[in-house]
Amino acid sequence: MMSLASYLIISLILFVVGIVVMIARKNIVAILLGIELILNAAALNFVAYSRYVTNNLDGHIFSLFIIVIAAAEAAVGLAIVIRFFQIKETIHIDEATQLRN
Amino acid sequence: MIQQLFGFLSYFIPEIICVVLMTTLLVAESTVKEEHGSRGKIIGYALAMLALCLLFLFQNLGEAPRFIFHNAITIDPFSTLIKIIMVLGTMGAIFLSYSSKDIYTNLKSEFAIMAVGVLLGGMLLASANNMLTLYLGIETLSILSYVMASFKRDESTSTEAGMKYALYGGLSAGVALYGISHLYGILGSIQFVDMVDKLPGLEGTNLLIVLVSFMFFFVGIGYKISVFPFHMWTPDVYQGSPIPVTSFFAIVPKMAGLAALIRVSFIFFNNNSALSISWTGLMLVISAMTMTVGNVTAIGQTSVKRLLAFSSIGHVGLMILGVVVLNEQGVRAILFYGIVYMFMTLIAFYITSHLSDMYGTDSYDVFKGLIYKHPTMAIIMAAVLFSLAGMPPFSGFVAKFNIFSVVIEKKLYGIAIVAAINSVIALYYYVKLAKTMIFGQADGDVKVLGFTSGNQAVIIALFIPVLFLGIFWEKVMIMSGNAVLFIK
Repeated sequence: MMSLASYLIISLILFVVGIVVMIARKNIVAILLGIELILNAAALNFVAYSRYVTNNLDGHIFSLFIIVIAAAEAAVGLAIVIRFFQIKETIHIDEATQLRN
Repeated sequence: MIQQLFGFLSYFIPEIICVVLMTTLLVAESTVKEEHGSRGKIIGYALAMLALCLLFLFQNLGEAPRFIFHNAITIDPFSTLIKIIMVLGTMGAIFLSYSSKDIYTNLKSEFAIMAVGVLLGGMLLASANNMLTLYLGIETLSILSYVMASFKRDESTSTEAGMKYALYGGLSAGVALYGISHLYGILGSIQFVDMVDKLPGLEGTNLLIVLVSFMFFFVGIGYKISVFPFHMWTPDVYQGSPIPVTSFFAIVPKMAGLAALIRVSFIFFNNNSALSISWTGLMLVISAMTMTVGNVTAIGQTSVKRLLAFSSIGHVGLMILGVVVLNEQGVRAILFYGIVYMFMTLIAFYITSHLSDMYGTDSYDVFKGLIYKHPTMAIIMAAVLFSLAGMPPFSGFVAKFNIFSVVIEKKLYGIAIVAAINSVIALYYYVKLAKTMIFGQADGDVKVLGFTSGNQAVIIALFIPVLFLGIFWEKVMIMSGNAVLFIK
């Protein structure tokens, strides 16, 4: 039997992994994947809380919205990354250094 | 039920106008032939629709607050006033985009589409009354902003700006969402009203989780208004984006984020619980850090866009002080500041844009000896710089004075001193730019092409409020005072 705590722990792991991926990886596509992990951690939380604690549909609705928004964000992010690749011919984040003090 | 929902739509007309404008612009963009002049007509149509939107907003300004769509959205004078500021800022940016060379000719109407979309997100954020609308507002605002930042798609700087914005933005929105998810779990609802009822009964671990979740939640808003720990993207994005986009970013997302911050602070933390004390304490520290970092870093800049980016960080730091005091006077001061800041920012970016179109760069050098080439523009720019620095008799002084007075009224002398020191630092770098304009040697007497009589007329029209709100400010104060009466 799964309890609320197990869902929360999994979502926390997803969240931390997402943050670590965003900080540690240098590949921009991997960083976008990190964002997806964070969003999914939140969506999992919403569904778990909705099922075990609050007993209303708010959480389910919220997670549906999160899925849609994650898709939109990934589309825009990837479009920009493609443009970056066409100009710089790399997707290494360390190449994005033109703008700084 | 259905009838009631349709009835609610009558309060939602400004937003509906924006949706209609966006879709019709899309259709127009794809069907109208690229003849000479058709571009101007499309921009004119967009401006006319936004003016109509403004008309409806002014009509809504006097209405009592209303909760529509199952409490998802609040229509109150406070959000309406914020929306008015945002619509004016959008109109200004769209008008600038038409004459700016920074936006490619075939993307001019796309700029309007994106700007109206961001405006729509901002309106949603300003009147959000539950977590879902708030999150949707933030994301509508953000996702379209990423596109706008990388509008100059053949240049690596602009693409890089868009990419940095998207990565930082995605991270902060995700963190905020994770915070919201725990808030939902502990407080049992996504409606602000229901959530705040549960707050006093919390203790132990739950209280701790809620506190941490609110910190996470603040990351999302703090990123949009670029306060201290989350401000790193601001100068980079502002510098890389085309100037009309920069001027737009300096106004619309900031005002929307501030509106959301004010509403959340007032709904959740307007009491003396431990939670509110830690929240206001956090705001106080963040405000001091934001001001200091923004103003101190602005000193060494050589790009005017970056300078304005750091100065906008400084201004937001000062505006947050109105949230710290958590009373009506504070919000009134923020609203007045917002109105004034919008006009000042628009003028500063208009003049920078025309100059940088002419010389292809936005360093201080393009301002050298502007007074000999365009005396009117130079004087207006100098006046706006003094106003931004908070010198009397310009409206920037009254705006700053209001913030200082509410802070001192609450006996927060320490932060008042920090703010005063920051004003002095700000004065230094603004005056430095003004000095370049007035005492610098002009290299040749080239006329700046961007300053056509029409553009000059618009700049002068925008300057009138900057000048006169500094003297006749009571009326606007009364207007914003009426707006905050119903905020709770």
